[in-house]
Amino acid sequence: MIGTGGVRMGGAGVSATSGAGGASGTDDLALATRGLRKSYGSRRALDGLDLSVPAGVVYGFLGPNGAGKTTTMRVLTGLIHADGGTVEVLGKPFRRGDRHRLFEVGALIESPTFYPYLSARANLRELAASGAPVPSKRIEELLDLVGLCDRANDKVQNYSMGMKQRLGIAAALLSDPKLLLLDEPANGLDPAGIVAMRDTLKTLASQGKTVFVSSHLLAEVQVMADVVGIIAAGKLVREGPLKELLSMQGVIKVRVRPNLVDGAIAALAPLAKAERLTETDRDEGWLSVHLGTNRAEEVNQKLAGAGIYASGLESGTDLEMLFLELTGGQGPSSSEGEFVGLGSPNGAQNGGAPAGKGTAA
Amino acid sequence: MRLFFSGIRKLYRRPATFVTFGLLVGLIVLILILAGATASRTVGTGSASGQSSRAAIKDLLTFPGAYDRMLSVVVSIGGLFGMIYGAAIAGSEWSWGTLKSAVARGESRVRYMLLSYASIGLMIAIGIVVVFVIADVAAVASASLAGISTSGLSDTSTLSDLPERLLKGWVAVMEETALGFAIATLARSQLAGIGAGIAFYFGEGFASLLLPDIVKFMPFSVASAAVSTGSGSGLGGGASATASLPADQALVMVFVWLIGCLVVVSLFSDRAEITG
Repeated sequence: MIGTGGVRMGGAGVSATSGAGGASGTDDLALATRGLRKSYGSRRALDGLDLSVPAGVVYGFLGPNGAGKTTTMRVLTGLIHADGGTVEVLGKPFRRGDRHRLFEVGALIESPTFYPYLSARANLRELAASGAPVPSKRIEELLDLVGLCDRANDKVQNYSMGMKQRLGIAAALLSDPKLLLLDEPANGLDPAGIVAMRDTLKTLASQGKTVFVSSHLLAEVQVMADVVGIIAAGKLVREGPLKELLSMQGVIKVRVRPNLVDGAIAALAPLAKAERLTETDRDEGWLSVHLGTNRAEEVNQKLAGAGIYASGLESGTDLEMLFLELTGGQGPSSSEGEFVGLGSPNGAQNGGAPAGKGTAA
Repeated sequence: MRLFFSGIRKLYRRPATFVTFGLLVGLIVLILILAGATASRTVGTGSASGQSSRAAIKDLLTFPGAYDRMLSVVVSIGGLFGMIYGAAIAGSEWSWGTLKSAVARGESRVRYMLLSYASIGLMIAIGIVVVFVIADVAAVASASLAGISTSGLSDTSTLSDLPERLLKGWVAVMEETALGFAIATLARSQLAGIGAGIAFYFGEGFASLLLPDIVKFMPFSVASAAVSTGSGSGLGGGASATASLPADQALVMVFVWLIGCLVVVSLFSDRAEITG
C-alpha cells in the first residue's frame, strides 16, 4: 500500500518507494493501475503505467503533451480498452464489462460535451437518465454550485467556453461521486472560476472524496494537489505527496563573484555530490546546488567558512522545475511533437534562477 | 425506461425533428396539390399524354385505393427522411460526444444506442400517422381540385385494414431509419451518415434498372414492396424497383435488414474506442 507519505520513482520499470508504505497492494487506494498498456498502431501511448491514487486526496496528474494523460483518463472511464495491465477503481477491479463501477465515478474527459439545442438544466436532466440514478434536486444544487442558476434555461449553444466548462464540472458531480476524474478542468475558466473550482475540489477531498485532476496548469496543481503523479512517454516517472517531492527536488542557488566560482564549488563539494552541483551561469557567478531547501543556511555557512561571501542566495523549488527536470529530456518521444520555442533573448536556455519560494540571504 | 423517455424528450426538443417532419409534410402536400392541379388542367384536353397523365393521377387520388397510394408515398419519401433522421440522431451522439458522457457515467453503450433508436421509433410512429392523415386530407383536396370523386373515402373494409397497413408502413420506415442509424454509427458522423444514406437510396434506384433481381432484396426496395398492394405505384427513388418481392417475403426481408442494422450498431458501439 502506498500512503501519502511515500514517493515512487518510475522509469525502466523501477518502482522505488521511500517513506511510509511501499508495497504494491492497493487496499486504501481510490484508484490504481498496474502495468497499464495501450498502443495506437505502432505508437505506445501507455507503457506499463502504475498509478496509485490514495483515497481522499486531490491527485495532480501531470505530463507533457502526448505523454498519455488523456489515454489514461479514457481507459479509466471505459471509453477505450487497455491492451494490458489492470485497473482498480475504489478498491475493486475495473475490467471490460464492469461498467457499474463507474456509477461512483464522475468524469470530465477532454472538453465538456452537451446537446447544443438543450438548456443547461435539460442537459443535466438527460445526462442523469444514464448511469446511476440522480435525485432531481441534485441538478438544482449543482447548477447553484457552478453559478449557472440564472442561465440554466439558456441553450448550451449560446454558452461561453467557461460556462460550458462549469456545466461540465456539474455534470461530473451529478452522481455525487466518490472518485472524480477531471481532465483540464480549468480550461476556459476565468480567475475567479479557477479559484472557486480549486476550493470546490479541495472541499470535496476534505469530505473524503478523491479528485484526480489532469492539468497543464502546474501552478494551479501545486496549490491544489496533495499528491502528484508525473508521467512521460506512457510511464510513471514520479509519484508522491507534493510536499515531499518538492523538498527532495529542492534547489539552492548561490551567486558569488565570478572569479570565486571554482572556490565555491570546492567549498560546497562536501555537501553535494558532483552531479548535484552545477554552474548555472559562470559569467554571472551563479551555482545551483541540488539539496533540500531547508539546507540553505548550511550552504551559506560553508561558503563563509571558505571565505566566500554569497551576493545572492535563493532556495526553493516549484512544480514547474520538478516537471521540467523529470520530463524535459523527453523531447522527440512526445507523440505530439515538441514546442521548441524562440529561446531567451540572450541565448541562454532556462538559464535563469529557479523560481525561489524563499530567500535565505 | 429512464433512458427511453430521456430519448423522447431529447427528440421532441430537437429542431431536426420538426424540420424533418415539416419538409416531409410540405413535400407530400406539394406533390399532391400539383398532381390535382395538373389533372384539373388536363380535363377536356384531347391529347393522349394529357389523358394518360390524368388517368395516372386519377388512380393516385381515387379513394379507397388512394389510402394505399398515400401509404406508399409516406413510406417511400418518409423512408428517405427517416433514414436521414436516424443518421442525424446516431451521428450526433458520436460527433457531439454525448455518448461519451453517458458511457463515462457507466451506461451500457448498446443499451444507450438501442434505446435511442427505440425513441426514434416512437417519434416516427407518431409522425407516420400524422403525415398519413395530412396526406389523405391533401389527396382529398387535390381530388376535389381535379374533379375526381371522393366517394370511396369511407370504405369500411379499407378503413378497417388501415391500422395493420400503417403498422407495416411503420416497420418499413423503421428499417430504413435503422439503415441510416447504422451507417452514421459506423461513420461516427451525422453528415457522413446522411450522405452515405442518400447515396444508398438513389444508388439503389439506379441499380434497380441494371440488377433488378438483386436490388429487389435491398432495403429500400423491400420496404416499398412490404406495403405494396400490387396495384398502382408509389413515388420515390430507391423504392421504385422494377422487380419486387411479394409483400410477405418483402416484410420478412424488412425484418432481416432491420435486425441486421441493429446488430451492426450494437457490435460496433460495444467495441468502438470512444475518442475525441
